[in-house]
Amino acid sequence: MQTIIATENLTKMYGPHVALDEMSLKISSGATALLGPNGAGKSTMIKTLLGLIQLTSGEGEVLGYNIRTEGDNIRQRIGYMPEYDCLTPEMNAIHQVKYCGELTGMNTNIAMQRAHEVLEYVGLRDQRYREISTFSTGMMQATKLACAIIHDPELLICDEPTNGLDTKARGFMLDTLFQVVKQGDRSILMCSHLMDDVEKICDRIVMIHKGKLIAQGKIEDLKAIDREIEIWVWGGASRMEDAMIDAGLKPRRTGRVMRVVRQDETTYDLVLELAAKAKVQIRRMEDYEPSLEDLFLVIMERLGYGVKSSADLLKSQPPTTAIAPLPSQPGGNF
Amino acid sequence: MEDEIPSVDDLFPDDDLQPSEPISEELLPIAEQSPQTIVEDDDIESLMALEQASAQPEILPTDAEFMGEKGGVVTGRGRMEAAFGTGDGDETATAQVAQVASDVQTGTIFHQVYRPWRGKLNSRWVRNWAILRYHIYGLFSKGHKPWPVMTKLVLFGVLVASIGDLLMLTVGAATGIEAIERLAGISRGNLYGHVLSFWFRNACTYPIVTALIIGGMISEDRRNGTSALYFSRPINRRDYAAMKFLSVAIILSVVVLFTLSAYYLGAILVGGEGWSYVMDTGLLFLGAFAAGTLLVFTYTSIGLALSSVSSGKFFPAVAFIGLILGTKMVAFLIWALFDSSAIYLISPYDNLAHVGQWMLGLNHTYEHPASWSLVMLITMNAVSLYILSARVSSLEVTRE
Repeated sequence: MQTIIATENLTKMYGPHVALDEMSLKISSGATALLGPNGAGKSTMIKTLLGLIQLTSGEGEVLGYNIRTEGDNIRQRIGYMPEYDCLTPEMNAIHQVKYCGELTGMNTNIAMQRAHEVLEYVGLRDQRYREISTFSTGMMQATKLACAIIHDPELLICDEPTNGLDTKARGFMLDTLFQVVKQGDRSILMCSHLMDDVEKICDRIVMIHKGKLIAQGKIEDLKAIDREIEIWVWGGASRMEDAMIDAGLKPRRTGRVMRVVRQDETTYDLVLELAAKAKVQIRRMEDYEPSLEDLFLVIMERLGYGVKSSADLLKSQPPTTAIAPLPSQPGGNF
Repeated sequence: MEDEIPSVDDLFPDDDLQPSEPISEELLPIAEQSPQTIVEDDDIESLMALEQASAQPEILPTDAEFMGEKGGVVTGRGRMEAAFGTGDGDETATAQVAQVASDVQTGTIFHQVYRPWRGKLNSRWVRNWAILRYHIYGLFSKGHKPWPVMTKLVLFGVLVASIGDLLMLTVGAATGIEAIERLAGISRGNLYGHVLSFWFRNACTYPIVTALIIGGMISEDRRNGTSALYFSRPINRRDYAAMKFLSVAIILSVVVLFTLSAYYLGAILVGGEGWSYVMDTGLLFLGAFAAGTLLVFTYTSIGLALSSVSSGKFFPAVAFIGLILGTKMVAFLIWALFDSSAIYLISPYDNLAHVGQWMLGLNHTYEHPASWSLVMLITMNAVSLYILSARVSSLEVTRE
């Protein structure tokens, strides 16, 4: 699999503030998610990848071009779909998309022809001559996507592509992006705070926090960091929880359902023994299949944040809670 | 062991090769009905002969002519029929129509296919030309920058008003009234007046046109977030600012410099003047043209600087008019009190007017040296361009 983004000790400082701290990344072709709380450095990372900012130190390449010196070449081969509005409300969709093609360097006639194609692809075939100011949020997002893919970029950077979309429009947008990867054989770097979206499209993630790389790799591989066993208890869940804590298992409990980290094969036997001692029934015990949300929470918990969902963390900068980071807290890649 | 392995023939008993029931001729389509001739199974030669015979054209009339070629096969079928087989079985065919899908919902995309594009992307200059064309063509046609109708109307009105002196000259020549010709003819005063007269060109028309044009030139990119469309593409900020500057300057040049040139050329043509007239007045025209260029440059740089510090089009427009007319008014009031013309150095218009008077060799209406006004003009432009470049550098790609 081809490496499309590679950085080595990338550092960007705004005065005393470190936006990117010795970031060493390697992203292969395909769909990758860029995750991190607000202020983690995602925007700086995107601007760096687009070759728009001068780096303090470090080196990097995007699609084989140096991010310090070949920004123009990079931006010619990248499609960027911003999170916020970036369209001229008084223009028709077709002319807006055509203009984006021209700005990339396409001839006028070719840009117009291609604008028709991409607007049809994103589902705006019948709306392409409508003024953008009359568009719904979903249609605007689709137009932004059309603007990003008009020149058939090798890498598509999408910043919150499903922002403000209803369920149906969100599903369509995700399907469309998925097809860009699968049908078009293109790569996507997607920023999103919706873990479901990320899991649907991407097979890899890059997680950053306070300008540092926290995790990168395949989602499936990362999920295996902390394998948990889910136990459904009946007749004394609190007793069972206490017994587990005494045995050093650190259970996470929601009502009668508990999860403990699977340390090795003996963990199952230990749970059964504890249940017998606590005189409770275990009605169900199975390996828990974690979602990306779980993975995210586990990672953030290791970093010392007590959050209940990724939405809490990604919408605003959360306060650090009393949860102490584990001694084995990784400094870089898992 | 080998004998136990069944051969392929063993797998299919002879009975299987025969249809379980004979197919009745009624069930067969007309074209597939068996021929009446009965051929014995062992008579292979006669069967092959029969097949060869059926492959031959039916009859070739020797004297037939088809499409101008003698000896062609005449089948009696029409051309479309022969080409597309229309008529063959049409009477028995059933049209295949689209089936109504009951579960299809409105807006569903049925065939979403990503089509790759492997074209060549052009160079930097083509991209810059696209920006320039977007702003200028927008005044005339759809599909480019959507200029408000009011802007277009005002621009047209000012353009017509700006060639008023040419119209007067034409009227004078047509009617033969010398007074009109003298009044509107080419002179230092008239050339200066076309570009730099305060009333009414620099009090009403040029600042208003400039204000309308620069109003949303950069501020709307900030407000709408369209700066992201520019800077996420291979367009650098210097090119972006330069093309915006050039767009405004070209539109203003049409109003100021094009009409000046039309006035001068019109005077030559209408008066039937020769080369000596051009030699006499050519330098005056060039002086006025240079003063006009300075005016266009200054108005553009100040206007774009104001547009770049705002996120709406109202503030830059009002601020520009206020700056041009307000400084003039303040300078006039202070001058009236203290009788010192140096205060006019704060007014961009008066600096332009003073430098223009110097360029055209007119009597100066200001007491301070023209070089002071020139230095102030350069300073004002430098400050404006600095603000413009600093603010364009702050335009965000990821978030505004």
